[in-house]
Amino acid sequence: MEYYIHLCILVGIYTILAQSFNVTIGLGRLFNLAHVAAYALGAYVTALGSTELGMGPGRCMLASALVSGVFAFLLGGIALRLAGDYFAIGTLAFSSIVSALLINWKSVTHGVLGIPGIPRPEFAGVGLYDNSEFLVLTLWIALVSQILLYFLFKSPFARVLRAQAENRLATMALGRDVRLANTTAFFISSLFAGIAGSLFAYYLNYIDPTSFSFSEMIFLLSIVVVGAPGSFWGCLAATAFLVLLPEPLRFIDIPSSILGPMRQLLHSVVLLAVVWLNRARLFPSQREV
Amino acid sequence: MDIIPQLIINALITGSIYALVAVGFSLTYGILKILNFAHGHLMMVGAYLFYAFSVDMGLGLPEAAIATVVLTTVLALITLCVFILPFDRYSQMLPLVTTLALATILESAVSMGFGVNVKSLDSGAAAESLEVGPIYITKLQIVIIGSAFVILSSIAYLMHSTSFGRQVRAMSERFVAAQAIAIHGPRVKLIVFVLGTILSMYAGIMVGYETNLQPTMGHGYTMKALAAMILGGLGNIWGATLGCYILGFVENFGVGLDFGAYSLPAGYKDAFAYLIILVVLLVKPEGLFSFRRRAA
Repeated sequence: MEYYIHLCILVGIYTILAQSFNVTIGLGRLFNLAHVAAYALGAYVTALGSTELGMGPGRCMLASALVSGVFAFLLGGIALRLAGDYFAIGTLAFSSIVSALLINWKSVTHGVLGIPGIPRPEFAGVGLYDNSEFLVLTLWIALVSQILLYFLFKSPFARVLRAQAENRLATMALGRDVRLANTTAFFISSLFAGIAGSLFAYYLNYIDPTSFSFSEMIFLLSIVVVGAPGSFWGCLAATAFLVLLPEPLRFIDIPSSILGPMRQLLHSVVLLAVVWLNRARLFPSQREV
Repeated sequence: MDIIPQLIINALITGSIYALVAVGFSLTYGILKILNFAHGHLMMVGAYLFYAFSVDMGLGLPEAAIATVVLTTVLALITLCVFILPFDRYSQMLPLVTTLALATILESAVSMGFGVNVKSLDSGAAAESLEVGPIYITKLQIVIIGSAFVILSSIAYLMHSTSFGRQVRAMSERFVAAQAIAIHGPRVKLIVFVLGTILSMYAGIMVGYETNLQPTMGHGYTMKALAAMILGGLGNIWGATLGCYILGFVENFGVGLDFGAYSLPAGYKDAFAYLIILVVLLVKPEGLFSFRRRAA
């Protein structure tokens, strides 16, 4: 039972993370490779806020969301000037700087040792120490986030994002501020990533830089690509599918040092297969008029 | 300031290794217009193959080298024909996704096969240190700097004095026009890609001798090469080469010099590459040594 609860919490956290990634890479076709950095910032802000500063869970989550959001303005300010390959390189560099800071800024982040002893959140004296209680919190936050994001996906704002992905010039000619739309997309996307990071830190009680590595990025990328970029329900289904996919491996008798790489291998092979099957439809080039 | 000559030598060593990685990366970018995010991972796999042949199987140096070159060629061909060419006519973004997937596949396959711990190649007698004035340098490091010079000179000869080099340059400048004057595009792509991968494999082996190998090293070298390429202008191979040596100097002087209270811990060495990428992209996205129109 405990194991199923663990899986549900993971799926809950990842739905927020993947759906928010879907806003930039799916709706806007912005090849943003820095989403994990926003997630990491959220997790670290909560970890530091609750251990060193003794902040409550509400404040911690708010701070996580805001710090990740501000990070998005920084990222968007630089990366949105760029196009194509340059955009991918720029966001990748940003995300690498964040991981370099997490590893090297030892006085704050404790480097590779990570931050242990993050207390479970307490609301009005009631602590969510048990995983089943934490599951309820996760599901509520995930549900609210998904509802908010669902309205976003159906909004005129999402139409502007989709339109600029298809034809940037035509969208600008219709009087839409593409730059503003993209920056807002980055901001909203990072905001939710920060909340997901905050939940992750609370759930594990311990975070270190390895949770926010390059392969985590590939995992998110495979969720969005498998669920079809820009598709709300596809992303939800793909999250559940890809988070649960490697779980049967646990029941086979293989050493844990093999298990991690095997999981990565499985995800990237699935990603590759889906890209191969949908290669004509995924990420179409700008449409000619 | 007796540390400066030593820092210069260290910068040359680092720069030489980066240059061997970046020249191949830059050549393939120039001709395919595709960023191969798995370039550093291919380098890592090449070095691990050499480790398997020379340490695990106990082959001699020439046999291990030949076997590694053959397998690396096969790997490069698979990468190009399975992971890049089927996708690049649909969208510029697809090969980014597939090479990222390839990078993870290679990294996890090597972690499963060799374990995640560091491995190092034993350079034997070449590890002994020579003292020249204020400088300590090993024979291996002399080999690295020297061989990088020889290889880069050969590439310069190949690119600027042979018919093949002219074809490569023609293709990277105007692909369609090059095809119109009957340059066989697929063949040139194949040769350039294999050449680039073998160069980075050589760099990987040198890294294995000089420091050590780790399955996760690939991404770092991809980023270093990207930083150098951005610095020199994407697709401009001599700009990228110069960029590599500049990066080598910045990294070694940045953490090596004593700035008193502002000295940086050695761990920040890698962050310079990322900072360089962002600053150059912000200020001069066409690269420092490029006089063409803005591409970004």
